[in-house]
Amino acid sequence: MTALLEIRGARRRFATPEGGHIAALDGVDLDVGGNEFVTLLGPSGCGKTTLLRAISGFEQLDGGSVRLDGADLGALPPFRRPLNTVFQSYALFGHMTVARNVGYALEVRGVDRATYEREVGQALEKVGLSGMGARKPSQLSGGQRQRVALARAIVAKPRLLLLDEPLSALDRNLRQQMQLELKDLQHRLGIAFVFVTHDQEEALTMSDRVVLMRAGRIEQQGSPRDIYRRPRSRFVAEFIGETNLFSITVERIEGGLAVGRTAQGLALWLPAAGLRPGQSAVAALRPADFTLEDGDIAGQVSRSVYLGSDLHLFVRPNAGGPEIRVTARDRAGAPEVGTPVSLGYDPAAAHVLEEA
Amino acid sequence: MQSRLGWAVLTIVAVLFFVFIYAPLLVIVVTSFNANPVNMLIWDGFTLDWYRGLLGLGERATDVSNRALYIESTDQLLAAVRNSLTVAAATTAISTVVGTATALALARHRFKGRGVYSGGLLLPMMMPDIVLGIGLLIFFVTIGMQLSLLTIIIGHCTFLISYVYLIVQARLAGLDPALEEASADLGASEWTTFRKVLLPQLAPGILGGALLAFVISMDDLVITYFIAGTGSTTLPVYIFGMIRRGVKPEINAIATMIILASILIAALGLWLRSRKTD
Ligand SMILES: Nc1ncnc2c1ncn2[C@@H]1O[C@H](COP(=O)(O)OP(=O)(O)OP(=O)(O)O)[C@@H](O)[C@H]1O
Ligand SMILES: [Mg+2]
Repeated sequence: MTALLEIRGARRRFATPEGGHIAALDGVDLDVGGNEFVTLLGPSGCGKTTLLRAISGFEQLDGGSVRLDGADLGALPPFRRPLNTVFQSYALFGHMTVARNVGYALEVRGVDRATYEREVGQALEKVGLSGMGARKPSQLSGGQRQRVALARAIVAKPRLLLLDEPLSALDRNLRQQMQLELKDLQHRLGIAFVFVTHDQEEALTMSDRVVLMRAGRIEQQGSPRDIYRRPRSRFVAEFIGETNLFSITVERIEGGLAVGRTAQGLALWLPAAGLRPGQSAVAALRPADFTLEDGDIAGQVSRSVYLGSDLHLFVRPNAGGPEIRVTARDRAGAPEVGTPVSLGYDPAAAHVLEEA
Repeated sequence: MQSRLGWAVLTIVAVLFFVFIYAPLLVIVVTSFNANPVNMLIWDGFTLDWYRGLLGLGERATDVSNRALYIESTDQLLAAVRNSLTVAAATTAISTVVGTATALALARHRFKGRGVYSGGLLLPMMMPDIVLGIGLLIFFVTIGMQLSLLTIIIGHCTFLISYVYLIVQARLAGLDPALEEASADLGASEWTTFRKVLLPQLAPGILGGALLAFVISMDDLVITYFIAGTGSTTLPVYIFGMIRRGVKPEINAIATMIILASILIAALGLWLRSRKTD
């Protein structure tokens, strides 16, 4: 089975004002399946928008290819590409009504009146804006405009929808609501979404697959769980959620477990897979992996931050070294600063990075 | 207390300001109805004679020679108005189309010499009229072109294109480039995007540029004075000629009618604008 969208070796360089070049895309390979929700995630300037615009045709590639359904898109101008985009600024046509905005793709195709009316009505209904068709975009709230942009992009039934940070202008509550609605819509339409964001939480919530980019390359891709639990590198581990990283040297292997020691002498139990005594490695443990009692990392609470249902603690190990971040459920109230704790964890939860 | 004083001062300044800019116009309008034919500063009763005379309805002058003078000047006046309208209409049409197209080309396409081009566009606007007038005259004489309405139209276009360009360009700069991309993304060709998205969005700017071009063209004396042929006198040139032969009361009547026409045009412009925006 071939993918709906196939990108191979995509390269794009921009000249910088200083006279040099920056590789916005530095050899990107990406496949997107027919009804997959793929998120492009990464820090500002890593090339997410450039990749999206190369798919929609607003950016030309210096090298590589973009194929949709096996057909090379390279020579097609944007208006001939059978995919649609939701723009970050929404880009609604202010001089047209909501209904005419939504029907624009059908209008320029010249479909007959009855089909036009029906499809526009359905698209408005899908995004929950029935009855708003006669308004002008300026008479809508931010969230409603967002929905108009969405309805406008799906009215022509594209097989692939591109979205460049469509939720970044919304407030937190509305954003979370729209995240669920978008995911739901994608599921109902049965089409592929390529969604750009630099919000890792958003990426984890919505995606079937997260593609983490860094400086024009794909650093790692996988399911949200995979990328959260098994980050390949320090960059991924730190970008996706909060994490504690320990630089260790492997002391010995005992059964299925390895014992590593940090420079400060803190001992950690890790899964032994692939480790040899004497080797240096970086181990990652998520804040939620720790328990506050019955462990063998002795330390003291140095700070605590209240986050609603969770309590975020910073624990200074007695052995020394950086503070360890721990999430605990807020049951008996926050431990006082200075309370001694002994952190424990399941060694199987510890993850050794492939790359230091 | 302090703010009330502030308001009082502000009101006085505002009133003085409007008196300052409108008093001369008011004087003209009033004197255009003054029956005193010799000294227009001495009120001698209300009359519409000057208007009647201008429009060829006058029966005031009893002696034959005087009547002939009136009729002749009426024909000349109407010819001048016709010339002015012809020039202004043609100039507005040409400079609106060319100025808009230039703004689009410069904003949307990168090409060599773009900076020089956009800078060069503003030069005719900043050039003193008299220099432009003399330059145009020498140019037309050099290439052997008869001075006519056509030379006036060409002359006006040389600087009015810049005005339209500037206004449309400002509107274009404020437009989200994603609008055109959204249109293309939804399957519209460049031409369709221009018709359905760009043009409606730019309409207030284009309209404003066109109105300005029309008004400036109607009003221009200095440049036109140099490049108008004998048969192609425009209204400002005609009035200027009349004044040189002595200030006649009819001039006030002409001026009043021009003021009225200008107000109508301005009101039309404002009305069209308010209809566009929401
Ligand atoms: N038209 C352009 N001219 C020059 N450089 C560009 C252009 N477009 C993008 N770049 C550069 O290419 C790199 C990638 O840009 P891109 O817009 O793809 O980043 P991004 O991942 O979308 O970032 P953000 O999260 O901030 O939107 C950046 O360094 C940017 O400065
Ligand atoms: Mg971007």
